[in-house]
Amino acid sequence: MAHDELAGLRIPALIMTPTDVSRLQREISALHEYLGQQKLRPSGQPTAILPKASTLLDELAVTNKLNLLEAGTREHLIAFLNDLSANAPVLHISFATDPPPAFLQKVVLWLRQNIHTSILVQVGMQPTIAVGCVVRTTNKYFDLSLRRSLANHGVDLIKALKMTADK
Amino acid sequence: MTIWWLASILGATGAAALAFIWVAVRLGGSSRRPGAKSQTDDYAKAADSEVEHIFSSEFREELRNRGRLHFEKIIGENAMFLQQDLRLTTSQLNEYMKTEITRKLKEEFDKYEQSIMDAKQLAIDSIQKTNQAIDEQRAMMSQEMQKEIDAEKTHLTARFEQNMAEIINHYVIAAIGNQVDLSDQLEYILDELEANKQDILEDIEHGA
Repeated sequence: MAHDELAGLRIPALIMTPTDVSRLQREISALHEYLGQQKLRPSGQPTAILPKASTLLDELAVTNKLNLLEAGTREHLIAFLNDLSANAPVLHISFATDPPPAFLQKVVLWLRQNIHTSILVQVGMQPTIAVGCVVRTTNKYFDLSLRRSLANHGVDLIKALKMTADK
Repeated sequence: MTIWWLASILGATGAAALAFIWVAVRLGGSSRRPGAKSQTDDYAKAADSEVEHIFSSEFREELRNRGRLHFEKIIGENAMFLQQDLRLTTSQLNEYMKTEITRKLKEEFDKYEQSIMDAKQLAIDSIQKTNQAIDEQRAMMSQEMQKEIDAEKTHLTARFEQNMAEIINHYVIAAIGNQVDLSDQLEYILDELEANKQDILEDIEHGA
């Protein structure tokens, strides 16, 4: 993939969803535009307020040791984010409840370590899952919920119920 | 008084008999002689006269009275006998009637009782047949019901087993709802992801 060429950049665990990438794209574009305008600004004229960098952008810059004041670095980062947004594999994961960020970070970290380094997740909610999750890739559907587990172990469950009933 | 009357009557009767015998002897003696026809007539006249003399109107009246009394007595006695006989006959008739009526009534009652017994037996037979039919019907219905229950039980069991995962999952959701922390499920989820890792990898690498 094209973004593999930007393998020098690491995606921090905070950046998990395509929404985060889109937000970063907008942010870095705004920063790039601001700094470009500042370069063209004649001296003595008032300056606009510097856009405040978000935690995500800070984390991305810190993780990859990027100097965002350099135009080349920003362009490089913009290209990386565009490529990430266009080509990064997206995994849809549904949980019974809204997952806390720390939990989701652990899952994303595992996915990036075991599946793909640039993988993003799209989080959904299905209250009927109860326990576990449902994972959907481009072509496949993986039911990792308790329901599927119970269905797979139906025979054992029936045996257990019958043993309980016999007692 | 009566004895005297009877003696006088017997005396008069005896005298009349003697006179008659004497007249008969005289008539017999004159018939053997020719020309005695007129003499006989005289005797007859004399006899008639004597009869009239003996059986005078008072005497005849007296005889009639006595005869009437005797007749009344006989009639009375006969009436008494008749009454007794009639009473006896009535009594016998009553007895006979009583016996006959009793016998007839007994026969009728017997017939009536027999009819009632027949009707009772018929009713009992009918009730027994009805009971038997009801028992058979009940047994048949019971078998049908049992069959239906067994079928429904099997069906429900099969459905329960088929949808058991859904049922238990539904129960788990109802019981614990959103109270299970996802952090507690992390290990389970990562294990499941690990189990499906290869499939996910293949789909991501070779998917469109």
